[in-house]
Order: sequence, then C-alpha cells, then structure tokens
Amino acid sequence: MGEPLLTTEKLSNHFGMVCTARDLDLSFEQGVLTSIIGPNGAGKSTLINLLTGHLPVQAGKIRFQGREITRLPIHKRVRLGICRSFQVVNVFPELTVAQNVMIPVLARTGRAWNPIRSLSRETAVTRETEVFLEKVGLQGERDTPATALSHGDLRLLEVGVALAAAPTLLFLDEPTAGMNPVERVRLLDNIRELACEGRTTFVVVEHDMDVVFSLSGRIIVLHRGEVLCDGTPAQVRADAKVREVYLGDDVSDLFRYEEE
Amino acid sequence: MKAEARNAAAAVVLLALCAVPFLAGKFTVYLAMRIMLLGIFAVGYNLLLGQTGLLSFGHGAFYAAGAYGLGFFGLHVSGNPLFGVAAGVAAAILLAILVGYLCVRHTEIYFAMLTLAFGMMVFSLIWNAREITGGDDGLIGIMRSPVSFFGLLEIPIGTDRQFYFFILFFFALSVWAVHRIRQSPFGLALAGIRENARRSEFAGVPVRRYRLAVFVLSGAFAGLAGSLEALLESNARPFMAHWTHSAEPVLVSLLGGLSSLTGPLVGSAIFIAMREIIQRFTENWMLWFGIVLLVIILGFRGGVVGTLSAFFRKAAAPGEG
Amino acid sequence: MQSYVHVILAGLSNGMFIWLVASGLTLIFGVLGVLNFAHGSFYMLGAYGSFTVLKYLGAGFWTGLLLGPLAVCAAGFVVERFFLRHVYRIALPYQLLLTFAFVLIFDNLVKIVWGGGALSPPSLSFLGGSIPILGRNFPVYNLFIIAVGPAVALLLWALLEKTWYGRIIRASSSDREMAASLGVRVPALFTGVFVFGTWLGALGGGLAVPYVGLLTPGMGEAIIIEAFIVAVIGGLGSLKGAFVGALVIGVMSAFGTRFFPSFDMFLTFILMGGVLLWRPQGLFGAAR
Repeated sequence: MGEPLLTTEKLSNHFGMVCTARDLDLSFEQGVLTSIIGPNGAGKSTLINLLTGHLPVQAGKIRFQGREITRLPIHKRVRLGICRSFQVVNVFPELTVAQNVMIPVLARTGRAWNPIRSLSRETAVTRETEVFLEKVGLQGERDTPATALSHGDLRLLEVGVALAAAPTLLFLDEPTAGMNPVERVRLLDNIRELACEGRTTFVVVEHDMDVVFSLSGRIIVLHRGEVLCDGTPAQVRADAKVREVYLGDDVSDLFRYEEE
Repeated sequence: MKAEARNAAAAVVLLALCAVPFLAGKFTVYLAMRIMLLGIFAVGYNLLLGQTGLLSFGHGAFYAAGAYGLGFFGLHVSGNPLFGVAAGVAAAILLAILVGYLCVRHTEIYFAMLTLAFGMMVFSLIWNAREITGGDDGLIGIMRSPVSFFGLLEIPIGTDRQFYFFILFFFALSVWAVHRIRQSPFGLALAGIRENARRSEFAGVPVRRYRLAVFVLSGAFAGLAGSLEALLESNARPFMAHWTHSAEPVLVSLLGGLSSLTGPLVGSAIFIAMREIIQRFTENWMLWFGIVLLVIILGFRGGVVGTLSAFFRKAAAPGEG
Repeated sequence: MQSYVHVILAGLSNGMFIWLVASGLTLIFGVLGVLNFAHGSFYMLGAYGSFTVLKYLGAGFWTGLLLGPLAVCAAGFVVERFFLRHVYRIALPYQLLLTFAFVLIFDNLVKIVWGGGALSPPSLSFLGGSIPILGRNFPVYNLFIIAVGPAVALLLWALLEKTWYGRIIRASSSDREMAASLGVRVPALFTGVFVFGTWLGALGGGLAVPYVGLLTPGMGEAIIIEAFIVAVIGGLGSLKGAFVGALVIGVMSAFGTRFFPSFDMFLTFILMGGVLLWRPQGLFGAAR
C-alpha cells in the first residue's frame, strides 16, 4: 500500500452525552478507495465532518500529508486537497450548473479575486469547467439553474462541485442517496473511473452494501464512534463482530454477496 | 438582455443624462444630481445586499466618512475636489475595514444589527465631537474649487451645471465598475456566498475575506457618494451617518429590485421623485412614505424592475399564463 | 466615593429604562425571530399615551401608567396581526423594512397628534423630591425605577420558567412546527408575545414620562439603538444577557457622561467592540 495521505490520532467528539467519535486512529492511503459503513448513529458523518473541518475537533489530531491540519479552516483544507460532497444536496441553488462547478475551479486557480475581468473571457476556467461537467455527465444541462434539475442530476452536480475543487482526497457522503438505479450505475461508473485515474483518492460513506462491496478496496466499519472492523471487503465480511452489529435487515444486505 | 441591446440602452441613458442640464430647469438638475448620488450609494450597496446577501444597516457611516473626509481634506490640506473625493473614499475604506472586520463573521440579522450599532456609533461620535466636526450644525463651508490637474488644466465645477457633469462622471464610472464586478469571477464568488456560504467554503473560497472585501468595496461607493454630496451641499452633516439614512440604500434596492444592476438605480429615481411629490402635497411625508413602503413589502416584493420583467416574461410567453 | 455611588445609582436607573425596552425587544426576537425597529416607537407611544392620560384626563400617575401602555398594546396588536404575520417567512430585509415603515408612520403620527415640539409633563407629587444618600440628594423616582427593573425581570422569569404559558412559548420559539403539531395555536401565541413585548416597551415609555423631563417625537430612536447594543452585548435573544447588558451599559454611560462628557456613547461602543472580539455571540448568547 502507498503513503498514508491522512492520519488521525485519538480523534474524539461528543454531542452532550453521546460519543460519536472515540479515540479514532485512522489512516487513509493514497489510491485506495475506502468505504465507511456502520449503522445509523455510528459516527460516519461526524467523522467526515471532523476531517473536513465542518465540525471543530474537540480532542485529537489530524495530519494531512504529514502536516497538521486539526484547526485549519475549511477553505484552507480544500486548498490543500481535502474536499467533500454532502448527504443532503448542498449546491448553489439559483446559479446555473456551469456556475456551480466554476466556483471551485476559480477558487482553486486563484482567479476568484478578479473583480474587473469578465467571466466570459476566462477561457481556461470555462474549459476546465466543461471537463468536470463531462465527468459527471451534465454538459447538456450547462445553463440550467440548479433548482430546476432533477434529483438525480442534483446529486451528480453535488459530486461535480466537489470534484471541481480537484481534491487529492475526496469524501463522498452517501453520493447515491435517493437516486434511481440507472443514475446510480452511471455515478458509480464515474467514480470508479475517476478512482482509476488516480489523481483523487475517494472515501465513501454508503448505506447501500452493493455499492460498498463492489467499489471498495478497503472498508471501515464504525459503531458508536469506534472502529469495529477495518480491512478488505473479504475480511469485513468474515468478521464476527460486524455480523453481530448488523443483525436484522442489514445482515441480508451485507452478506448477500456470499450467497451469490 | 443581449449585450448589444444593453450597451445601446446604456448609451441612450447616458446621452439623456448629458442633455438634462441643457433642457431642464435648475430644480430638475438638482434632483437629477440627488438621484445620481443615491444611485451611486445604492448600486454599490447592492453588491453587498443583492450580490452577497448581507444586509447592512450601517452604510450611512461610510457615506458620512466620505463627506467628512472630503470636508477635512478640503479645509486643511487641499481644495482640489479630485483629491478631496479620493480622501473621502479613503476615509470610508479605512472605516469599513475596521467595522467590517468586527462584523463579517456574523450573518443575517446579527450582521444587520451590528452594522446598525456601529453606524450609530459613528453618528454619535460626529454629533458629540463638536470641536472637530461642528456637531449637529455639521461641517460647513466646503468649497467647490476647480478640478485641477497639477496646474496644467483647470475645470471649474462652481455652477450647478458644471458640477452636474462632475457627478455624472462618477456616476457613470460607478455603474460601469459595479457592472464589471457583477460579471467578474469575484462577482460569481460573491453570488456563491449568497447562495450557500458553507458550500463556498468547501469550494475553497475564504468566505469571510470575501465578505470583508465586498463590505469595504460597498463602503467605498458609499464614501464616494458622501463626498460628492458634501461638495453639492457645501456641508457634511451627522445625519448622513444616521440609521434612517443607512436604510435608504436598502429601501431603494428593494424598491427597484435586488437582483439586477438597474434595480437600485430605478429605485433611486423613484425614491427621490416620490419624496418630492409627497412633500409637495403634505408635510407628513414620512407617514405616506411608510404606507407606500408597507404596500410595496406586502404586494410587490420583486421590486419595480423584478415585477416589470416578470410581467414582460409572462407577456412574451402567454401559453404559460 | 460619594460621587461614585451617585454616578452608579444614576447609571442603574438609566440602565433600567434600557432594560425595559430591551426586554420586549429580546422577547420578541427570541420567540418570533423578528428584529423590531418599531420597538422604540412603542416606547415613545407609551410615553405620549401616559402623558396624555396624566395631563388631559387629569388622572393620576398610576392610572396613566396603566392606561397609556395598554392603549399602545392595541397598536402592537395591529402591527403583528395585520402586517408582521405575513412576513415571517420572507427574506430578512423585508421584515426589517416593514418594522422600519412603522417607525416612520408612528413618528409622524405623533407629530400630527401631539405636535413636533417637546412637551414637558407635570411634576409628580409623590415619588417626587429627593432623599439624601451619603450626604447628597438623590431623586426618589430614580430609586423607584431601580426597583421596577428587577421586578419586571422577576416577572418575566417567573412567567417563562414557572408557568404553563411560558413552557409553551419556549417550546414554540425553539420549534414552531413541533409546537403547532402539538396543538399550540402558534399564530395566536405569537400575537400574544408581540403584544406583551409591546407592553414592556410602552411601560418603559410610561415610566420615562417623569424621568426624561421632555417628550419629543424622536425619543424612541435613541433608546432603541441603546437597546440594540444591549442585545448585542448580552447575546441576541437572551433575556438574562439583556438585563446584565443594560446594567453595564447604563452604568458605563453614566461614568462616561460624568468624566468624558463628549464621548459617553463612545465608551459604550468600545465596550461593544471588545465584547464582540472576545465573544462574538455576546455574553450570554448561544454559540452559533
């Protein structure tokens, strides 16, 4: 396995009495598509929120490429190469699809401060925006306001905005939630392709076990803020503790692959 | 609107504005100047409200900083109005940096309230520091010396007609600048902050710094309008910093429409005209103006420009009813 | 020493007026989420109302204090029921400008009804005069005001914390939909809270009649700014913060007036700036 991109050291978080992250020591390697799973309330979203700066870290440390980023504000983490998408669609509603994707491109290339030059003359930015639109398959909706998109297209845009920040490490929080099967396959193919390109390392939070087991090189199972199991899909499937936690409906989901 | 049509419309309006002092009476020329001053104030302010989604109730303070900045500069340093305007704008920028730094970490109602409080701080400072500012009498005796380019060329602005073109120059410059800003990458980043500040951060935009930048920028336009008013009226008054004056650009932007460049300009014209008309019929213009305001808020929230363009959109596409 | 005590007492009585206005403002903001610019106008109307009852109806001080603010409550009812109610869900600038429109309307109405000049109320027979404190005279009325402030604070606390209505109000302010689904008639409740907040502001105005000496149509504007500052310092929506903030501002500006007469407001603002740098959410505000 490659170099660890991001490591955490005794990362902890509490909401009142509820512990959503307990002394987490994790590391994410470059090029390994990792999935984070766990029952509701396991601390998946909290972990992403902590790593990307959405939530202030209460205790512990985060390092990215050897540099400590525990207290770094969000936009600086994004500049370093950590970005995310959101579970609930969280784009710029009144802006067009192209404008949505253009904002991270502008910010990354340092062109967003220019108050006089017309946007239409930023050809390099426009071209790059096109590339990202193609990657998520939205070039046809270029000039549609985000509010007018279908739910599936909005999800694609959500991922597109995150991709346009050209992150080294990208967290996708339930990217396929609420998508129909066709859209889902399209998005997953995209993600797989992008992961193969190797510029971006993906970390995905998912509920859908089909997605998780088909996509990941590594799976982290969280439960009540702690790592229950961490390994390859085969290791996770074989783990007794995971079976225990996933009693009930989810078991069939999780172990369907064995039966097939 | 297509770019050519827009440019043509802008050229026509500019020509019409150039013709005003030759065709209209003294009072109309004066009103046109007031409209342009309020227009500069509002169009700059709308970068903050319409473009970035931040509601400030303290921009009167920067307007006053412009006026008093020009006044002090004229009284103590140099009478050249160009330098005076530059001094006024600089004063407004400095004050905006100071106030903005404390305010931009807040948004929405908290931001509105803080800017209001700081605006009133400036008001009470001006009001109380009588020895320096003249207190409630204001700073009087501001002169309109000729515009001088290092003694090589002198342009007098003493008469109202001459001064009209001085204001028109800055008005056109401001509208052009704000137009460019709205079309620029910076403008798009601001719109992104308005639409979704959190996502902007995750797009790599340092949101607070952008907010501060646009706050200072809009403060600079307020300072420009203030310094020009000081030249027009030959004085600077503490009322300029009062919160009721800070409410004017808000009002004018809503009146005309927040989402366009022309909205605040149309709103300024309507506001000044309406005030004149109401004042002609009654002493109680505040009462009537309040009532008009209620009607607008409860009935025409798109503003005049928004309501009209919605109307024309509907007219153009009758099938959608 | 003796002069310090007097400055502090003067500051406390000043602070209590700010508190009365700020309490209504804070209550309305906390529950309805609306920043009411017209709150200063209710203060002014309360003063003019009490003054009118006092002077033209020949009634006593207490009657004036009872009837004046009650009449203002009617104005508060109209504002909330017929106007404000329609703008809770629309963009902030419209809400603020709506209340601003009422500032213009009320200020102008006062000018029409009572004239634009200053009015001086008749002097009080009881609660008038002074008593010596540490060898110097201090007005009895100011001591009375210093007692009224905490009484109102206690009343509010008891109302919100100890009664059934208070629990409903707190529930509705934290989650409108939830309260509505539990059968609370939220619109009626909001009207009630707004009218009560109006009454608090108007009560401040009624009490100010013998205190300020002169009534002017602009009297609401100065105090609403101070109330805003108090709310910012104390933390928006926090009644405890408003109370502490009002006392601090009152005493501070009394010292300012005494020792730096031309910069008394400035001290207040320096305090506000300092608090904001140190605790952006205000002294008792919840972290946002």
